[in-house]
Amino acid sequence: MVKGVRFRELRDIGDPVALAQAYERAGADEIVFLDISASIEERRTLLDVVRRTAEALFIPLTVGGGVRTADDIAAALRAGADKVSMNSAAVADVNLLTEAADRFGAQCVVASIDARREGDGWRAYTHGGSRATPLDALEWAECCTARGAGEILLTSIDRDGSREGYDLGLTRAVVERVSVPVVASGGAGGVADVVDVLRDGKADAALVAGIVHDGVCTVAEIKTGMANAGLRVRGT
Amino acid sequence: MRITVFDYGAGNLHSLVKALAGAGRDIRVEPDPAAAARTDLLVLPGVGSFASAAARLVPGRDAMRRALADGVPCLGICLGMQLMFDASDEGPGAGLGIFPGRVRRLRARRVPQIGWNDVTDATDPLFARAALRQAYYANSFVCAPDDPRAVIAWSAHETDRFPAAVRAGRVLGVQFHPEKSSEPGVCLIHEFVREEAA
Repeated sequence: MVKGVRFRELRDIGDPVALAQAYERAGADEIVFLDISASIEERRTLLDVVRRTAEALFIPLTVGGGVRTADDIAAALRAGADKVSMNSAAVADVNLLTEAADRFGAQCVVASIDARREGDGWRAYTHGGSRATPLDALEWAECCTARGAGEILLTSIDRDGSREGYDLGLTRAVVERVSVPVVASGGAGGVADVVDVLRDGKADAALVAGIVHDGVCTVAEIKTGMANAGLRVRGT
Repeated sequence: MRITVFDYGAGNLHSLVKALAGAGRDIRVEPDPAAAARTDLLVLPGVGSFASAAARLVPGRDAMRRALADGVPCLGICLGMQLMFDASDEGPGAGLGIFPGRVRRLRARRVPQIGWNDVTDATDPLFARAALRQAYYANSFVCAPDDPRAVIAWSAHETDRFPAAVRAGRVLGVQFHPEKSSEPGVCLIHEFVREEAA
């Protein structure tokens, strides 16, 4: 079981390098940098942050935001990212996933899927959840893995920022559909929600952001809660 | 002590170089395999595919084999461990052949394996000294040594049990990424370097 700490809009959280190191010391298993609004200038800043973080961090680092081409992926990997996540660019051209997997290996290709509930299913969105696609989120997840993605970063738009808990139905549906690790994101309000999405949602990993940035709970408390619930936790 | 990281050109060596750093150590990243072999300790990192790395290895393969036979310590990580074997099902090309055997695909539903996994049945004291019981993996292929006595630690992905680490004297191969396995992983690297520097 792994758990990541997600960074959104890097400018809002102080020194991301120091914070990433602090989360590693607290027991986080992975760090995710994601800047959904990244302009070209902001991307340069992001890569600089990635470079400085990679030299100080000894857990995996996933980077996403503004990735358009395979060369963008190469730049992020060179800067020190272990994995690169992409959403809008993959929807625009799914061949990007295949090209990235061929060039860099499927283990570093993360398909980021933002899904919103619609009727009995879920629809995939791009551009930070603002633009609907014609894609069914479950079919899209399957397609991404068939085309080269080695991991799915699955965000529930309905739950993101709500602190009402992860969308367990969405998570479980995607986990049952694909044969790559699924990282659940969006909605964590506390330790119990993380336990729920790993145990009942069957996610391979859970991402948290706001609850640890804002001090609702600590990474250590989450891991203790997971261990108490009988989930496998690193370091025990 | 000069530590040389052979760079196959596949990128991201930041964490590894940082993890190797220490007092009195001169860390070099060297793209030329023949030049890389002239060192006090060789590191084969874990990024890329077997075929492309084996192709990059060709001009210095003999020099590297000789250096290792002469007792130069070597740490191979992930693909770097796989390069210590004869050949791989992933693609064409010759490895260093330090460990007789082949590299095969993981037999599991979820491939690649990406994430933390338990490391068990460790027989080498390095693992106890580093307190390494879990490690971070990112791999689709694993090593199958002809002689299972080379294996010094194991892991299992789904039902497929595979070597987490192999060792032959001063040559150590690890399938996981110690430089991404937080403090115990970095500690394992330091313990190995310290042991081989002595």
